[in-house]
Amino acid sequence: MAAFAFTACGKKESGDVVVLTGASTIAPIIVDVAKRYEEAHPGVRIEVQTGGTSRGIADTLSGVADLGMASRVLTDEEAEKLTAYRIAADGVCVVLHKDNPINDLSKQQLIDIYTKKETNWSAFGGPDATIVVANKADGRSTLEVFLGFVGLDKADVKADVVVGENLHVINSVVSNPNTIGYVSIGTAATEAQGGTPIKLIATDGIAATTENVASGTFPITRPLTIIEDAETSPAAKAFLDHLKSAEINDIIEKHFFVPVN
Amino acid sequence: MTPPTPRARPVAPVWLDRALAFAGATAALLSFGLFAWLVWDLARLGLPRISWTFLTGEIEDAGRSGGIGPLLVSTLLILVCCLALVIPLGTGCALWLSEFVRRGSLAARLVTGGVDLLASVPSIVFGLFGMVFFGQTLKMGFSILSGGLTLACMILPILVRTTLSALEALPADLRPASAGLGLTRTTSIVKLLLPAALPGIVVGITLGIGRALSETAALIFTSGYSIRWPSSFWDSGRALSVHIYDLTLNVPQSGAMASSTALVLLALILVVNSAAVALSEHWLRRRHQTS
Repeated sequence: MAAFAFTACGKKESGDVVVLTGASTIAPIIVDVAKRYEEAHPGVRIEVQTGGTSRGIADTLSGVADLGMASRVLTDEEAEKLTAYRIAADGVCVVLHKDNPINDLSKQQLIDIYTKKETNWSAFGGPDATIVVANKADGRSTLEVFLGFVGLDKADVKADVVVGENLHVINSVVSNPNTIGYVSIGTAATEAQGGTPIKLIATDGIAATTENVASGTFPITRPLTIIEDAETSPAAKAFLDHLKSAEINDIIEKHFFVPVN
Repeated sequence: MTPPTPRARPVAPVWLDRALAFAGATAALLSFGLFAWLVWDLARLGLPRISWTFLTGEIEDAGRSGGIGPLLVSTLLILVCCLALVIPLGTGCALWLSEFVRRGSLAARLVTGGVDLLASVPSIVFGLFGMVFFGQTLKMGFSILSGGLTLACMILPILVRTTLSALEALPADLRPASAGLGLTRTTSIVKLLLPAALPGIVVGITLGIGRALSETAALIFTSGYSIRWPSSFWDSGRALSVHIYDLTLNVPQSGAMASSTALVLLALILVVNSAAVALSEHWLRRRHQTS
């Protein structure tokens, strides 16, 4: 256990400290990256805090944080003062059972399915079977990304199954071939390659591959970015360069996101 | 005219008594069942992973593996900061209200009103207040100190209210009797009133501890997210509750770890609360023996 000392009268500052605040989706990745970075760079301390994208933007501007984490595209006004660097992408794809003949669903078709306007697979050229709709639980980033794409509100979605984790969605699809669900692309691809009887289907004709997410052509996605203002310390610059490099890609994949650099 | 014969007082039939007893027992069973179900569910998912390495190890892989050692230490340190401020402040405030100011006076009404209003403030507001006041104005930054002090503000109303009702519930003749014996007010408070009210105060402290240890929103912006071993009260340190929140929302495939952490948190609350009760009982017993 670490020795504990109470330094009563002042904050101790030793070496370079880089403070990051912002999106809670990105923070766990940066914590992992920081751990490895600190081991390779003794004397540097990376402090990661969360609180959401807006916090990250505000803290970077006010100087509370050296760098911010943002899980959305900056507005024009924000982009005047800040620069965003994409370090990863969060891609969400629709998954069906391997035996389901459908290979592509458009945005409108997804809206019809998720609002129960269409309740039978035959409407899309599939078998005469009732569609089982699996949705994500509140607070999941995949839920936000998916709803953002189809333009629906949480209350509009009529789901038969509500689950929290990507793997639970995949299990639902495996156990009932009439189920439709959406999961993080990284997870779905890994499972499908591993022999789980699911398939990642195309959206608006664009195949759900990590390449298409990385290139930005796949539509159900959002960027995971690091932002800086005009006054970034040398230590923060060095860490930012590390985040922009391919050296962190293994960690990004471990978190089921798509590397872009 | 003869006055009407008084009607016999209606007697509740026996079956109503039985029904009431049955309803009460059902409510009690449901309340306990809820608790039992919660614990069972957590234990089923979380117990297999709990080990000495889990309790003392560092977080690995964003919390999907490894342990929760640094968080356990941070959580306890946050609690120490919180109690160090809230116990004197809460008891002091309650003592003033009960012993030094006339009940119903403007000052007393203002203070109780303010404290009660504080109790209805959502915890995220305390978190934002703590971030600005302790973190930025007092320059504590993201630190255990800043988190503990924020929690102290949050649970202050609980402590003031329970201490106040404990003091007010003391026999009314205690105060004139002690004055009659020629005791000064200080002696009377320290030797008589506070010890007599101690069991009530301890109830307030245990309720406060439960609230503090389970708090998330007030801590995200104050004690923060760091998973390092804390080396001083000035370090940022993630509390167990914040970790559970982060695992469930931001770290896929970590459900079992979240359950294990929740189980440890539950056990921690139980241990800390039992310690508080045992300490007060021990202290009271020793006092009775020496006096």
